[in-house]
Amino acid sequence: MNRNRWLSLLSPLVLLGLWELAVQIGWINRIFLPPPSEVFHTLSELIATGQIFRDTGISLLRVGLGFLLGGIPAIVVGLFMGVSPVVRALVQPLAAAIYPIPKIALLPLIIVTLGLGETSKIATIAVSVFFLVVLNVAASVLQVDPRYFEVARSFGARRRDLFWTVALPGSLPGIMNSIKLGMGFALTLIVGVEFVGADSGIGWLIWQAYELYAIDRMIAGLVVVALVGWLITVGLDELEYVLVPWQASSVRIKERRVREHVRIWWTTIRPWSYTAAMIPVLLGASIAAYDGAINWWLLLLTMIGSVAIQLGTNLINEYYDDRKGIDKVQVFGIGGAIQRGELAAWQVLLAGLLAFAVGSGIGLYLVSVTGPFIFWLGVFSVATGFFYTAGPFALAYVGLGELAVFIFMGPVIVIGSYYVQAETITLPVVLASLPVGFLVAAILHANNLRDLDIDRQFGKRTLATLLGRSGANIEYYVLVGGTYVSLIVTVALGVMPWLTLITLVTLPAAVRLMRIVAVETEPHALQPVLRQTAKLHMRFGSLLIFGWVAAWLMGSFGYI
Amino acid sequence: MEPKIRIDNIQVVYPGRGRTGPVEAVGGVSLDVADGELVCVVGPSGCGKTTLLRVLADLEQPTSGQITLRRDNPARPLKATVFQGGGIFPWMTVEQNVAYGLQLQGVSPAQRIATARHWIGEIGLERFAHAYPTQLSGGMQQRVGLARAFAFDAEVLLMDEPFGALDAQTRLLLQQTLLQQWERSSKTVMFVTHSIEEALTLGDRVCVMSARPGRLLHEVQVPFARPRDAVALRTDARFSALFAEIWGVLRTEVDRARADEVGA
Repeated sequence: MNRNRWLSLLSPLVLLGLWELAVQIGWINRIFLPPPSEVFHTLSELIATGQIFRDTGISLLRVGLGFLLGGIPAIVVGLFMGVSPVVRALVQPLAAAIYPIPKIALLPLIIVTLGLGETSKIATIAVSVFFLVVLNVAASVLQVDPRYFEVARSFGARRRDLFWTVALPGSLPGIMNSIKLGMGFALTLIVGVEFVGADSGIGWLIWQAYELYAIDRMIAGLVVVALVGWLITVGLDELEYVLVPWQASSVRIKERRVREHVRIWWTTIRPWSYTAAMIPVLLGASIAAYDGAINWWLLLLTMIGSVAIQLGTNLINEYYDDRKGIDKVQVFGIGGAIQRGELAAWQVLLAGLLAFAVGSGIGLYLVSVTGPFIFWLGVFSVATGFFYTAGPFALAYVGLGELAVFIFMGPVIVIGSYYVQAETITLPVVLASLPVGFLVAAILHANNLRDLDIDRQFGKRTLATLLGRSGANIEYYVLVGGTYVSLIVTVALGVMPWLTLITLVTLPAAVRLMRIVAVETEPHALQPVLRQTAKLHMRFGSLLIFGWVAAWLMGSFGYI
Repeated sequence: MEPKIRIDNIQVVYPGRGRTGPVEAVGGVSLDVADGELVCVVGPSGCGKTTLLRVLADLEQPTSGQITLRRDNPARPLKATVFQGGGIFPWMTVEQNVAYGLQLQGVSPAQRIATARHWIGEIGLERFAHAYPTQLSGGMQQRVGLARAFAFDAEVLLMDEPFGALDAQTRLLLQQTLLQQWERSSKTVMFVTHSIEEALTLGDRVCVMSARPGRLLHEVQVPFARPRDAVALRTDARFSALFAEIWGVLRTEVDRARADEVGA
């Protein structure tokens, strides 16, 4: 990131800081302009109650439907106008006459005709988008360089070919632009439409806040509108990249570089490993829900925190693997961006520490909400994550990797997530976390099993190298088998609801994996075992959560 | 034997607009091109040589006169055009551009990709087969335009100042490429250029056109044996003699064209 980019991040932050300060010292009356911290608080409340998702969702649905109903016919008609002078002569005057009318002015007319319901809102969007897009699409067809039509004709193109190979692709950049324009227009409009005669939607939320004189809510609504607008722009840029890949300006080239950067980081953070961090969190929360305590806001925070810690662990791991000279380029292993020179070691270390900081920050917030138990759990988690590959007694290099992962990614997270919700800890929770712990340890072991010979060569001590090939195979059976045994035992003891037995549908896949492990020793043959074990963990974990949630819902509806 | 291309007293007049009267771009040109011959047409800018070529390519109608292109093989397309600057589609990859003519003819995807690949190899752009034209230099784009015309495999190639906008080195390299490909094929070529060197390097015959309205003033038979080497030719004494001869004719025309512009 260059200095200008930092400055462009700095100016809004300074502004926010000044605003906060001005309100806190009393220069600005907080009744007229509440400080950012208050807006943030209101926003988190709106998230916690789920209201913001409901209203944003409804607004997006209206925009989406209106956009499709207006935009698709507009593109078709616009293309016809572009290629056919007859159609152009027929439609152009009409479209050009209606186009300059501010479409919000049509709203009363539309309400009179279609009533106050959803139809009139969607129709307003559709009509407005139609006239904007139709003229722009027609213009972009006319802007295609006539030379290209000549080239096509010189190779014998017929009318149909001229349309499909020149007019349409040649005007795609322009069509894409009109889609962007139309979408921006639709977003502006929806807020206005919802100010009048709506009882839901983001515009309604802002208007209602105005009527209650709740300025913090108004600003929170504006923040959400801005965020949604930004996300849609990003999405449309992505779409443009797919539909119009030949548009290469300097921006594009820069974008490509950004994309390359994103790809490098994406593989380095090992995205596939996050289900392993999320499943225990969701499991703990679903058990808490079953026990009658669920707070969605805290669940969201716990998820983010858990993913951040996992992210930090992965990055620190990457950093120290490089420092200790574990050659990932030769090994199947993922990552290795530092060795390939794609990332500097300090970048990875810094990002890892940052992730830990975010995780710790969320952790501290959770501590302030729930109590010191989470604090000690957090300290233990961060320590495990850090010393997994770092320090003189790196757990991963002395054969304690599986145990560390078993405890940390199994019971510790499940208990922590449960505690955040229920503020207590029970034996059933500990027992219920065991199957997941077994399976997550099996993922790590599948990795070590694959790298057994290479690790031995490099003197990396894993449990697999210590046990030897046949011992390591038995370890795999124990871990995968332990998953199902602990599941059945806990259900039989009445600790887990019988619905969790649905996870047994994954048993055939597990047996298949153990069979492969029994006969294969080659890394390339064991590579799928690693991937499949991770998949097994995800499927098993999801089904287990499903079992708990189903039991909770059936309980709360009185079926059990 | 009948000529491959017969241009019979072609005249092109553009109707006047406003105060300017009608403009006579081509003023009665007759020219025969034999089968397998490469004829270059040189002339001062604005002399109507491009218009003449556009008439041949069916992109423009002559005001009077007639054009006959003899078709020998009904299975092959009759003519292909190479445009100034390449004229390749920015929305197609190099491969799609080269395969374009074949696509219009309904050649199966597998076969047209194979043909396109062959020609992309011939022009040395294998690494860019899936690149878009905006990622290519001007010379590379022009090579794609050449490959597209050769892949189409027409009996007659019409080339409209294809190398006009390129730098001298690139131009030399592309002339060499064109010579190699054309000498292996049996195509009849009409090549329009404003460069005397280029005309002498490539052509069997060089026709000199007058300033507007364009008429044929002079014709030179180029004596160099084939296969030719675009660089070695220039040291030949006959090359400079022919250059001087053509320049002598052209010079007065260039002056006339200038005077015309100033007077208008």
